[in-house]
Parts: sequence; structure tokens; C-alpha cells
Amino acid sequence: MNLMESFKSALQSVRANKMRSFLTMLGIIIGISSVITIVSIGQGGKEAITGQFQDIGTNIVNVQVKAMDTSVEARDYFTLKDAELIKEKIPGVEWVAPYAEGRGYMKSEKESKFTMVMAVNEYFAGLMHIELLEGRFIDERDVQNAKNVAVIDEISAKKIFGTTNAIGKRVKISNQTKDMYVTVIGVSKNISGGMAAMFGDNMPGNTFVPITIREKVLANYEISEMGVSLADMSHSKDTADKMIRLLEKSHRNEGVYAASEGFTQMDTINSVLDIFTMVIGAIAGISLIVGGIGVMNIMLVSVTERTREIGTRKALGARNRDIMLQFLTESLIICLIGGIIGMTLGVTLGLVIGNFINVPLGVSPLVILAAFGFSSAVGIFFGLYPAQKAAKLDPIEALRYE
Amino acid sequence: MIISIENLKKVYDTGKIQVEALNSVSLKIEEKEYVAVMGASGSGKSTLMNILGCLDRLTEGRYILAGEDVSVLSGDSLAAIRNKKIGFVFQSFNLLPRLSALGNVELPMIYAGQPYNERIKRAKSALERVGLGERMHHKPNELSGGQKQRVAIARALVNNPAILLADEPTGNLDTKSSEEIMDIFESLNDEGVTIIMVTHEQDIAMHTKRAVVFRDGAIISDRPVEGRITRKGGISA
Repeated sequence: MNLMESFKSALQSVRANKMRSFLTMLGIIIGISSVITIVSIGQGGKEAITGQFQDIGTNIVNVQVKAMDTSVEARDYFTLKDAELIKEKIPGVEWVAPYAEGRGYMKSEKESKFTMVMAVNEYFAGLMHIELLEGRFIDERDVQNAKNVAVIDEISAKKIFGTTNAIGKRVKISNQTKDMYVTVIGVSKNISGGMAAMFGDNMPGNTFVPITIREKVLANYEISEMGVSLADMSHSKDTADKMIRLLEKSHRNEGVYAASEGFTQMDTINSVLDIFTMVIGAIAGISLIVGGIGVMNIMLVSVTERTREIGTRKALGARNRDIMLQFLTESLIICLIGGIIGMTLGVTLGLVIGNFINVPLGVSPLVILAAFGFSSAVGIFFGLYPAQKAAKLDPIEALRYE
Repeated sequence: MIISIENLKKVYDTGKIQVEALNSVSLKIEEKEYVAVMGASGSGKSTLMNILGCLDRLTEGRYILAGEDVSVLSGDSLAAIRNKKIGFVFQSFNLLPRLSALGNVELPMIYAGQPYNERIKRAKSALERVGLGERMHHKPNELSGGQKQRVAIARALVNNPAILLADEPTGNLDTKSSEEIMDIFESLNDEGVTIIMVTHEQDIAMHTKRAVVFRDGAIISDRPVEGRITRKGGISA
């Protein structure tokens, strides 16, 4: 008997016991659909998080002075020379964005707005993905010539000037010790994004000034951080180490600097998500095993019920392997049909749940292939014992069976 | 000679006790013979049938079927012998309930690896041969006992076996159906089919040409049937 014939015969037998076949399939359906639902949602969540991190920029290495370390001295802080040095000496560096930050107030005659003040160079817009609404960002000439200019965010612009069209207007930046007038050259979106939109006026504003005028604007104007953009992140760890060594050499110190990659956080979140997906997936996988045991159980019942049929088939010339194939195909078909239904159900369920919790579904062809592979494997694994039992039946005993 | 068994011995080993079911049985059956195997239950006739049908293996002796020594064969080879050289007819028909008459008759050819078209053609002609051309798409539960047994006969014949082995073929049938089956056997035998039939009913055995009687695992009588009943209702010598 060839595969075609046993397939036909198995299909016939599945159809002959529709209710029973369906109930048996149910275990596989539940198993496969829950695995697919969970893995798809997990995958979707991962993709969503990765997407968010990609917005921030994943080819950035942050180099910073360990601020917690009390032994940091003034000479340990970065200089603009350091930025040039890194760009010159370290291969694969696209640009370096050193910056210093502090707090202050933007003031007009009537209004005042609390703001973060960041002294930056022309690359900072790329580092933070700053979106300009009016005018331009600080450029190379502003930095070189130490111009008294600033880019402010739209919330502050509205508060201080009543409009986002604030180009050319002058504003006072002040803190406890310093007062300084700058000319607005650009208006950007607040870097806090959606949060700023939600909290409105309560969010601090953003003020970006050329890094070369930081001493005039910031109370504490040390440069403690640099964002370094690399062309290729595959050797980011080495590159980061090289940068730190270069800085240590030039500052003649040790253990003061640290480098972190933008995506280490992403990796952490992803691995948490992976473990989560795996654990729940494994629990769902158990239901697949339970389903498989159900298949085995029914196949054993079927073998007993059809003992005489087996005896007859053997008398008519069926070899042991023909009988084996017949029963194995039957359990395989039950599991495969269950797998297909389960997959459809799983994807649908994933879409519905994903829609509720706002996570796009990540159904990879691999998952679908794995579902097929898994249900066939379950079918063969749990079908093997009953099929073997059927094949080994003694024809005389089987023919006599009532 | 189609069947030759020499000094056949069959011992069932049930652990502590050894039961001797057949003791030095020798039997020769020629082509086109029509033989009744008779005896009370426990006489060894069923054991002989199982061995003749290659369903069971002998303990000692030799069994040559259509020129092939089958006493040395095992497993798959015996399955192939059953498929090609032996046609079985059982007391309880043993039709597969899910298959139509046609499907049931197709089965031995499926195991013989015949292509679909050939199978359908031969199954149809086999069913016509037993007078069931009209009911070939009926399931067994839609057929009468006699019709079921006729399907079984068609199934037994479809691979053109060397012998037809019938185990109490009329045991579950009424008198009229029994006569029908005996008529079919007779005409098949007339066409040249070798038939060996186990029965304990004297009047059924009267349809055959030769009666072999068993008692306690041995043949106690082997002679031609006198006063044989034939189709025409007459008695032939």
C-alpha cells in the first residue's frame, strides 16, 4: 500500500468519526493556537520596542564621565579637543556630539519659562532626532564663532512670544548666577515628544545654544557627555574601549569614563520579553503535549475497535508496515488538520488581542512552519505507539476478536 | 499438486503446558479439488486452516503451496503469499464496514500494488461474477447476509489465488443463502478454482467432492463424498 492509498483510507476514517476526530483535534487546536498567539504577540512587542529604539538611534555610543564618582576633578571633564581627537584617531567614527546641560529660565518682559539648557554642536540635532518647526539648528559657524544664538522648543516659544514664529527675536536665558541674551534662530519640537504634548506647560522647555558659549549660559558648564555616531555597530564594544583608552591617555587618568551603547537597554528589554514569551510559550506547549496524549488515547481506542479490520487486512495481504502506515497517517492527518485550524485561530486571536493592547502582530513564516512541523511531530510521536500496536497484532487473534 | 503437507506438527506453547493441536498430519490436495475439512471443535481443523492460510506457522514438517515451500517464510513474505495465492472467506464475512462492496473487493489489489483503474475494472467484474453487479456501491450494512458473503467471495477471488479457503462460510447464513453460496462455490469449482472449506455441517460438506475428517489433531478419514449434492438438485456419483 502506498502513501496515497493510506492517506485516502485515513481521511475516510477521520471523516467516518467526525465528532470524535474533532474532539481529538481540539487538543491540538488549542495547543497550536495558544503557542502561535503568544509567540506572535511577543514577537510583535519586540518589533515595536526595537522600532522605538531605532528612532532614538541605535548606532550611537554614549561616552560619559561617571558623575557619581566624587573623585572626579575638573581636569577629568571632556574638552572640545577630545571630540576632535576621537573623530581623528578612532576609525569608523562619523561624528562626535559633546554637550553640557543645565537648567535655567527663558525670560521676556512679561513671561518666564523653566527650561533645560543644552550647550551643543551641530551634530546634536542628529543625536537627539530634533525636529525643527521654524528656522534652522545650530550650525558649525555658530559653534566656531561662538554666536549668541539659540534654538528653543515650540512650547516655550508659544509661552514667551505667543507664536512659534520667533525667529530673530531675542530672549534672556538666566539662572542663579548668569544672565544672557540670545537671538532665536530656530524653533523645534520639544525633545520629550508625546510627553510634552501631554503635560504642556508643565514640561520644561528646551534651549539649545552653541557649545562654545556654554560658560556664559550654564552655571555648571563642564562637558560630561558625548554622543558618538559609528558607521558600523558590529565592533561597537571595541570602538568604545578604544575611545575610553584614548581619553584616559589624554587626560592622564583611569576609571573615570564609561561608554554605553544605545541598544544595550533595548537588548535587556528584548531578552526579558524573550524569556516571557518563552515561558508562556512553554506553558502553551504543554497543552500541545496534552493534546498529543489525547490523540494517542483515541488512536489506541481506534486500534482496539478495529482489531478485526486489522486482522482482515492482514489476511488479505497487508504487511505490518502497511498497517503501521495506515494508523500513523491517521494520527498525522488529525494533527495536521488540527494544526491548520489552530494556526488560523492563533493568528486571528493574536490580531484581536494585539489590537486591544496596541501591539502589531509579528507573524513570521518561521512560526507558521514551526506550527506545521510541531503538529506533524506530535502526530507522528503520539501516533507511533498505537500504530505499532496495530501492526504487531496477531492476524488469527485479530480475526477472532469480537 | 497445489498443496502438499508432510508430517505437519503444531504445538501451542502456553508456558507450562504444551498443547499438541496437530500431530503428524500429511495431506495432498490437487488442483481443482473441492475439499471439506470436518471435525468437532478442538479437532485441529481450524489450526490446519490457519496454517494452510499462512496465518500461522507450523512447528514441524513441511508445507508446499503451489510449488513454494512456505514453511520457511516469515512475516512480509507470508503476507505476500496470502495476498497473491490465497483467498479467504470467513464465517462472519469480515467486510470493512466503512467501505462499499467495491471498496472491499478492491482491498487485496491495493496491497498488491495494482493501479486504480485496473482495480476498479477487476473489482467490478469479480462482483458481477458473484451476481452483485447492481449493488457494488452499497455499504455492508445495506446488504443481506448472503450478499455480504458474496462480496467476500468476490474479494477472495479478485487476485486470482491458487486456493480459496472458506472457514464455515455458511455458519451465519439461513438455508436459502447457504444454498446460494454453495451454488457459487460449485460453479467456481467448475471453472477450475480449488476450494478448501472448513465446516462441521454434514449437509454443507455434502456439496464438496472430498471430505477430510479430523479428530484430536489427526486425520481419521479422507475419502470422496458419496451422494454429492449438486446445483441441479440432483445427485452425482
